Amino acid sequence: MNRIRKLQGPALILALLALLWIIVILVLLVLKPSVFSLGTVTTILQFSTILALVALGQAIVILAGGAGIDLSVGGIVSLSAIAGMLAMKLGLPSFLLPPACIIAGAALGAFNGVLVTKLSILPLIATLGTFFVYSGLALALTGGAAQSGVPSWLLIWGRGVFSGIPVPFLTIAIPVFAIAGIVLMWTAWGRWIYAMGFNERSARLVGIPVDRARLILYSLSGVLSGAAALISLAWLGSGRPNIGQNLELESLTAAMLGGIAILGGRGGVGGVFAAVMLLVTLKTGLLQLNVNTVWQVGIVGALLVFVLLADRLSQNWR
Amino acid sequence: MTAPFLVAKGIAKRFGALTALSGVDLEIRSGEVLALLGDNGAGKSTFIKILAGAHPASDGELVIEGVPVAFSSPKDAAAAGIATIFQELALSENLSISENVFLGRELKRSVLGVPFLRRADMRQRVDGLLKELDAHISDPEAPVGSLSGGQRQAVAICRALNLNARLVIMDEPTAALAVAETRKVLALTRRLAERGCAVVLISHNISEVFEVADRIVVFRRGRKVAERLRAETNPEEIVSFITGAHPDVRALEKAN
Repeated sequence: MNRIRKLQGPALILALLALLWIIVILVLLVLKPSVFSLGTVTTILQFSTILALVALGQAIVILAGGAGIDLSVGGIVSLSAIAGMLAMKLGLPSFLLPPACIIAGAALGAFNGVLVTKLSILPLIATLGTFFVYSGLALALTGGAAQSGVPSWLLIWGRGVFSGIPVPFLTIAIPVFAIAGIVLMWTAWGRWIYAMGFNERSARLVGIPVDRARLILYSLSGVLSGAAALISLAWLGSGRPNIGQNLELESLTAAMLGGIAILGGRGGVGGVFAAVMLLVTLKTGLLQLNVNTVWQVGIVGALLVFVLLADRLSQNWR
Repeated sequence: MTAPFLVAKGIAKRFGALTALSGVDLEIRSGEVLALLGDNGAGKSTFIKILAGAHPASDGELVIEGVPVAFSSPKDAAAAGIATIFQELALSENLSISENVFLGRELKRSVLGVPFLRRADMRQRVDGLLKELDAHISDPEAPVGSLSGGQRQAVAICRALNLNARLVIMDEPTAALAVAETRKVLALTRRLAERGCAVVLISHNISEVFEVADRIVVFRRGRKVAERLRAETNPEEIVSFITGAHPDVRALEKAN
């Protein structure tokens, strides 16, 4: 019974995503068979790494409810990348670049958390505000110029490929998703997140530290965005002030596609991971087919509506 | 007769100029179902909120097993063994029965500081509690969202038992239930008392109260106007206390 319940929603989502993924691949196969090579797989996974981390942060913030949403993730990615590079220019030893990016992300995320929990600002508004602040600051600090000078040892890690799979994907994305999945399913913390996401009042009544948990989750979303920033540096070799552009929309789409209920309390990280794969495959495929970027965005949006509709219909049948 | 679990002495509650409760003396005994009756605004809810630690009393004293206590929050009351089952139950529908029963105080095995759940143990304990209550719920892993109103009451009662509550306060537990479900919840209430719990039941339904309560206390206009053993009273008398038609109540109200 438990198994059925746990799998019913998520299994449906996963099956749908897999089906869509196969359709995307089949269409690509027919239209442009030359796309299929190990190189394409590597590229897809490389792009996925950044989106996967950001989408995971988005997913846990939404899961914990209280109208939780983090629109500032793209801004955090841009600003942490820039902050890391500028700190190095100001004399930070290069081996401290990775912790610098992550700490910057954590601080920016924690600021969101303070706005939401301590000052009780609606998350949508609070993170919309910080989205403008963070991405604006990233542009203002650099004048829009890319910051070069990423240490070469970092590039070796960031551009490394192990049997076709990018090293950052293997060493960051997969472990982080595994840990998140385990924490959500098998620990008391995970149960608390689901409980507060679904019924905040009851969670407070049984003594779950709702505000503290939420503050930590916003900070964690920041940490994951900071990690994504680091990966972008290690991959691209420079810090671009607009690297996080559109990540808020893509991460939100991935979280929704992956079956995270927008009101919180339902969904799992496996679906988010699958949704990231689907999204990046679709985008890469459209790119290969020379589809206009405007259409790409439209197609992703249509996909979101379709999956939400399917989910809604399946609920009515039950 | 056993010593009372809880004694309330001269409990009063004022909200600004409004006196919601004045001079209430009450004894609550283990193993007994005590029903609080009264019209809307009679002060029953205020009284149980004071017992549950949600409001501080303006005056008077609560004594638990001979020790005076002061509650500043529901947590204090819970620590003293008082569990309140609210009308809306406060269950998380997306979690399973056993997860709800243990929510906030899960059984866990700490690995590097990470609290992993001991699901098998939690399941076993809840299974035992459900059997003991004869709640007819076979699977503690079923989601609470799939349960009926009466079954949810059973889950809420399990949660109270799991906290080792010695006084369980039930606020209109049957208000939203169908007839068969109501029967079950009343049986659960009886079983709670048989286990040695003190039970305080708030209800509007007099026939229900006569079915399940050992003692009946009537509140009217912020005062306790009557206390009767069920065996020594009848529904007509209780109704006259509630409405104020009883001569004792009239005398009392005239005196003030």
